[in-house]
Amino acid sequence: MNANKTRAWYLEKTFTALMWLFLAGACLAVIIPLAFMFTASAMPARDILKMPYPWIPDGIYWQNFWNALRGPEGTFIFARNAFNSLLVSGTVAFFTVIFSSLAGYGLAKFKFKGRNLVFMLIMATMMIPFEAIMIPLYMVAMRMGLQDTYAGLILPFLANAFGVFLMRQYLITFPDEILDAARIDGASEPRIFGSIVMPSSGPAIATLAILAFRSQWDSLLWPLLVVQSDEMKTIPLYITKFMAETHSDEGIMMAVAVMASIPMIVLFLTLSKYFVNTEGLTSATKG
Amino acid sequence: MRHKRGFSMERKKARWGWVFVTPSLILFAAFSFYPIINAFYESFFNRNLLSLRPPSFVGWNNYTYLFRSKEFWLSVQNTLIFTGGTFLPLLVFSLILAVFIMSISRFRRFFQMAFYSPAVLSSVVAAMIWLLIFDPRGLANQGMNSLLGTAGVNYNWLSTTTMLRLSTIIVYFWKYIGYFTVLFVSGIGSIPDTLGEAALIDGANRWTMFWYVTFPLLKPTTLLVSIMTMIQCLKTFSTQYMFTSAGAPTRPINVITLSIYNTAIKDYRIGRATAMSILLFIVMFAFTWLQLKVSRTEDVSHM
Repeated sequence: MNANKTRAWYLEKTFTALMWLFLAGACLAVIIPLAFMFTASAMPARDILKMPYPWIPDGIYWQNFWNALRGPEGTFIFARNAFNSLLVSGTVAFFTVIFSSLAGYGLAKFKFKGRNLVFMLIMATMMIPFEAIMIPLYMVAMRMGLQDTYAGLILPFLANAFGVFLMRQYLITFPDEILDAARIDGASEPRIFGSIVMPSSGPAIATLAILAFRSQWDSLLWPLLVVQSDEMKTIPLYITKFMAETHSDEGIMMAVAVMASIPMIVLFLTLSKYFVNTEGLTSATKG
Repeated sequence: MRHKRGFSMERKKARWGWVFVTPSLILFAAFSFYPIINAFYESFFNRNLLSLRPPSFVGWNNYTYLFRSKEFWLSVQNTLIFTGGTFLPLLVFSLILAVFIMSISRFRRFFQMAFYSPAVLSSVVAAMIWLLIFDPRGLANQGMNSLLGTAGVNYNWLSTTTMLRLSTIIVYFWKYIGYFTVLFVSGIGSIPDTLGEAALIDGANRWTMFWYVTFPLLKPTTLLVSIMTMIQCLKTFSTQYMFTSAGAPTRPINVITLSIYNTAIKDYRIGRATAMSILLFIVMFAFTWLQLKVSRTEDVSHM
C-alpha cells in the first residue's frame, strides 16, 4: 500500500515537471520572435545579420528609429501614415460603439413590429465575409467618390453585426424598472439612452471599442483597394510599400515594426481583460 | 382611458425602437446587403475595371471559366492546404496548452498573457518579423542547423513550394495559438471543480479524468473553436500578400483571397473576381451557419 502510494507520488511529480517543461518551452518558442523584433530594432543592420544572432544589443541604436520616422525620402511620411491609422481606427471604434449601442438598445428594450426580422437581418450580415464583398464594395466606393478619402476608409466598417449582437445581449438583462422610472420622471428617450444606458454598459463598450480599433489597425485588404496616394496610406500600407522598396536595412524594418505595435502593446498591457472576449463567446453559446 | 394611454405609450415606444435601429440598418443596407446582391449580379457580367465599354451579360461564363481554370483550382488547393495545415495543429496544441495551464497552480495568468502576446501585433508586422527570421542568414536556419546538428544548410523557407507553404502556416500558428488557448482556458474554467473532485474520489487519474470528464465537457468549445479557425483560415490574406510582395514565389501560396485581389486589381477582371467572391461566400456561409447552429444547440449545462 505504502509502496504503491510512493509510486503514484513519483509519477505525479514527474508528470507535473514535464508539464512545466512543456509550458516553459512553448512559452520560449512563442516569445523568441517577439524578442527578436525588440532586440533587432535596437541594433545596426550589420549586427542583425551576424551568425549566430547576437541576442543582446550594445546599447540602443536610435538611428533605426530616427531613420524609420524620417523615411527613405526624408518626408516623415511614416508619421502621417501613423496619424491616419490612429484617426481611422479611433473614428471607427467610436462610431461602432455609438451605432451598435443604439441598435442593441433598440432591439433589447423596445417592442416593435418587425423587430425579430430586423435582428435576423443584422445577424445574417455576420455570414457575409468581408473578403467576399470587397470587390462590389470597392465598386460602390468608387461610384460614391470615396476613393482615397478618410470616408472611404471609415464608412464601410461603422455597422458591425457582432457589435449589435454584443450590446443587445448585454442590455437585455438591464432592469426595465430603471428605464420606466426615468420615463415617469419625464426623461426623454435619447436622454435615457445617453445618461442611463450608455454609462452602465462600460465593459461591453470597452470590449467592442478595442475589437473595432484592433481590426482597423490591422486592416490591410480594404486600404489596399481604396487608397492610392502616399498621404492617405495607413501603417499596414506603409509597411507593404516599405518592404517592397527598401529591402535592405533590417534594423529600420524592425524599428518600424516596434513603432507600429506601440499602441496595441499599450492597450494590451493596460486593458488586457477586454482583449479576448470570452464573455461574448459564452453569451453567443447561450444564444 | 387608462387603457388608451397605455396603448399610445406602447406605440410611442415602438417608434423609438425604430429610431434606435435605423442608423445601423441604413449602414448595413449600403455596405453589406447592397454589395452582396450586387456581387451576384456582377458575377454574370464581364466588367473590366478600366474599360469604358458597358459590361455585357455573359451568363454562367465566369463560373464555367473558373471551374475549367487550373489557376483557380490551384488557389482552392492552396487554401485547403493552408486551412488543413493550420487548423489541426492549432486545435491540438491550444487544447494541450490550456489543459496544462489549468493543471498548474501558479503563473496561470502569466502563461496566458505570454501565449497571447503575438496576437497583439498586426498581421503585417508579424509577417515582417518572420520574413527576417526566414531569411537565409536568419534565425530559422540557425535554429534548424543547431537543432539537427547540421552546418550551414539553407532550408529555403521562402523559396521551395513545401517550405513556403509551411512558413505561412508557422506564422499563422504562432499568431493565433494564444487566442485559442485562452478560449479553451475559459471553457475549462466553466467546468465546475466539483466534477473533477468527484472523479478524483472515484480514483480517476489525470489521464482518465481528462479523457472522460474534461474533454467531453469541452466538446461545445472544441466545435466552436474548430469552425472559427476554419473560417479564419479560409480568408487568410495578409501573410501571403506580404510574403509575395517581399519577393517569394506566388504560385504555392496563391490563396483564394489573394487570387480575387489580383484578378480584380492586376487583371481588371471584375466579373471573374466577383464570381470567385461568390464561391468563397457560399463556402464560408455554410461554415458560419454551422457555427451559429452549433453554438445554439451544443449548449451543455454542467449542473
